[in-house]
Amino acid sequence: MKLLTTLLAIALSCSSLTVFAAGAIEGEVQRQPLNVSAIVIFLGFVAATLGISYWAARNTRSSSEFYNAGGNISGLKNGTAIAGDFMSAASFLGITALMFGAGFDGLVLSLGAFSAWPIMLFLLARRVRNLGNFTFVDVVSMRLEKSRIRYVAIVGTIVVVVLYLIAQMVGAGKLIELLFGLPYEIAVVTVAVLVLAYVTFGGMLATTWVQIIKAILLMTGVTVLAFLVMKEANFSFSELLRGAADNHPLGERMLSPGVAFKDPIQVATILTSMLFGVLGLPHILMRLFTVPNAHEAKKSAFYASLFMGYFYLLLIIVGFGTAFLLYNNPQFFDDNGQLLGGGNMAAIHLSNAVGGSLLTGFMSAVSFATILAVVAGLTVSGAAAISHDLYAEVLCKGKPDPKKEMQLTRITTLLIGVIAVGLGILFQNENVAFIATMPMVVAASVNFPILFLSLFWAGLTTRGAIYGATLGLISSVALIIIGPQVWVSVLGFEEPLFPYNYPALFTMPLAFAVAWFFSISDRSERAGIDRANYHSLLIRSEYGEE
Amino acid sequence: MTHDQKLKAIAVRTRRRFLFSIIALAFYFSFSLAWTEPGAFLSLPLGDGLLNGALLMFILLIVLFIALEFLFLTIAKRELRKEAAQSEEQVR
Repeated sequence: MKLLTTLLAIALSCSSLTVFAAGAIEGEVQRQPLNVSAIVIFLGFVAATLGISYWAARNTRSSSEFYNAGGNISGLKNGTAIAGDFMSAASFLGITALMFGAGFDGLVLSLGAFSAWPIMLFLLARRVRNLGNFTFVDVVSMRLEKSRIRYVAIVGTIVVVVLYLIAQMVGAGKLIELLFGLPYEIAVVTVAVLVLAYVTFGGMLATTWVQIIKAILLMTGVTVLAFLVMKEANFSFSELLRGAADNHPLGERMLSPGVAFKDPIQVATILTSMLFGVLGLPHILMRLFTVPNAHEAKKSAFYASLFMGYFYLLLIIVGFGTAFLLYNNPQFFDDNGQLLGGGNMAAIHLSNAVGGSLLTGFMSAVSFATILAVVAGLTVSGAAAISHDLYAEVLCKGKPDPKKEMQLTRITTLLIGVIAVGLGILFQNENVAFIATMPMVVAASVNFPILFLSLFWAGLTTRGAIYGATLGLISSVALIIIGPQVWVSVLGFEEPLFPYNYPALFTMPLAFAVAWFFSISDRSERAGIDRANYHSLLIRSEYGEE
Repeated sequence: MTHDQKLKAIAVRTRRRFLFSIIALAFYFSFSLAWTEPGAFLSLPLGDGLLNGALLMFILLIVLFIALEFLFLTIAKRELRKEAAQSEEQVR
């Protein structure tokens, strides 16, 4: 019976694996009793962030200030905001749940999420910052035929933002239902209203501060939690691992690879999607433009990885701590031997086990704040794609009426909020696991190849970039559909036609190959201009505008 | 700095970017070895405790990546100072 319970727990935890990428909470949730301390702490967070939004609104008068906070954020602040943008609720709850069920294998996701940042620093930070103004689309359109490549890159951005948003909103509704005992619809509307208040008035400046505050709260909470877990283990890592192995139904096996993932290719597909997906996420890349220069952009990436490295190292303690302190404590399990509220509640129950209701309330409130910070970043990115990339740069040929652009930016923000609520409610009973997978795979297969090639390969032409991105998009969507998440879980077939959930290991090289082939075979007049542009922009990409 | 000097410096920087990226990616994907038969030794405990090679590898990878980033930034900073000194000399 205990083994059966374990396997169920692992299965539940593995479902959270797929949603980690976009930060959603998946599967059936059991609504918890109203958590008063969590609500009080959360209201404190809301009051502080709304106050900041009010201040930010007074400093956000132009579209430029809306998109990049005037470009005046320091590297340290921006790095903290990036960490706040990226360390989602599911990084904390989902990875811990996976470690609670399957032990060591949960760490694959931690490594995937973290390791994009060194590559961001080495390859992208300087050149992206020097070539773009507000979005990564600015960078790729700098040397290629502006209108056509912008359309393609805008589609890439919108697809990623919308899918990410659906996963976040559904995850938010379920998570808040789970943590606070609030009805799903109220949770979704609350998230949208708060995010609109931040973004519509305070733009990127307010979003940055929401993300900074959230990052500090999350890291503080996880530090306290890890400290209290270590105290239970007499501050001995060996004792923590011994306790986890003794109490976990899988015993010492949970400390080794091979419980949730059997196949190294499966692990490689996850690692590829996570790392290159992050490098193509428009709302993450957009943060590189909020700093005054390339040096600060590089510092941003460094501080972001420093904070995230610290966070993911602490998750080892928290993850194994759940096995150590929950399995032998019947108060956290129901009559069927299931963890109360499901696997995603493991970290919250651990907070209760070591810190009582105050720490539980704090961690629940931080999880809610986390969703707000991520959705705010997505909303700014989506609004910029429409008002800057499409309206200002394509429709107005780079010469928009500033007042009209600002108006459109705010209208787009409101529209995104309404769409987010609509999609959140529409998809509330759907299996969003595949929707949560898609943004990372699409970002890795569409955005990253064209961004990388436009920065580092003189031979890239507009035709090659368009074909590469289009094929990357089609192949990644197709392989996700015939993969286990849609073909088996949604469509009900017995066996998937493609065995992996994260196909970026195959679709990203395909996008690169197609972009290469259609570029080298391009003999058009435009191809010559595209190639010449690379050399003329090379010095600017490294030394900035002179 | 002259145009040619800048182009030379960019070539050096680009090589360095790729070198650091390839090192990081090689270590990153080597993590999947822990799920292969040849990498099975990584699951064995180190010494008397339960800490195994795979878990130690995870921790060391995070530390290594941060160290690589620090090194990359330090080299870039030193280079920037050198370039600034060169430019000053040329102005004189």
